[in-house]
Amino acid sequence: MDAQTRIDKQTRPEFSVTKGSDLPLSGRSLVAILRAVLEKGAPARFQAKGFSMSPFIKNNDLVTISPLKGKRPGLGEIIAFVHGETDGLCVHRVVRRKDGLYVTKGDNISDTAEVVPRENILGSVSRVERERKEVFLGLGPERYLIAFLGRRHLLFPFFLPIWRVVRPIIRRTAD
Amino acid sequence: MDLDAKLDAVYVPSEDIVARTIEGELIIVPLAAGIGDLEDELFTLNETGKAIWDSLDGKRTLREVLEELLSEFEAPEGEIEEDLIGLVTELVRRRILVAVP
Repeated sequence: MDAQTRIDKQTRPEFSVTKGSDLPLSGRSLVAILRAVLEKGAPARFQAKGFSMSPFIKNNDLVTISPLKGKRPGLGEIIAFVHGETDGLCVHRVVRRKDGLYVTKGDNISDTAEVVPRENILGSVSRVERERKEVFLGLGPERYLIAFLGRRHLLFPFFLPIWRVVRPIIRRTAD
Repeated sequence: MDLDAKLDAVYVPSEDIVARTIEGELIIVPLAAGIGDLEDELFTLNETGKAIWDSLDGKRTLREVLEELLSEFEAPEGEIEEDLIGLVTELVRRRILVAVP
């Protein structure tokens, strides 16, 4: 007969309620939970960390990832994928599709793009929230232009002057 | 509606949650309004709680689960039963577990 496991004060069954942001999750753990939610066919919402997609997704923005449900991510879509080297979560824009591979790039990164196989893609960004407001820019039809410019490292020379003019108008309209 | 767990009832994880074991701990994500919100409340179970969770397969009654736990864990019978009923009641109240009709 197998030895019994002793239950004491420390090992009594314990149920805890934790705010997601207070749960110390490694990149791999976050990927595992996201994958589980998306495989169930449900979108997953979490807080973005980092600056690689600024200004379209900023540090601490709330990002909703939707399952692809068999669809291929399109050009300009922002996808969540498992990074090939770190196994952590990465959220970047598709700037090219070729032979079943997806070339992705952070909008705020000028260095080389990453090639992502289909099986590493978890889902696509369907919603971005910042300070309790939805951010639309970067997810609509303009995504094609952003991908085109990003691929040629022209996003910031082209986009920044326009952004400086458009941003105050968008803010005023939102308020 | 009586949400207290019953020994003769059979329980199963709700369709509106996702559960994964991460670094030895069971993490439960409720799908509130169909979305897995990782910024909202998440639920975790320790190792003993996870052993109970794993036994709730939608086939065995809580009494059968209790018998299994008694053979697996060393603790007074009343204490294990109390822990089992307490945990399942809490999970049912939070709609993480549902009783099989």
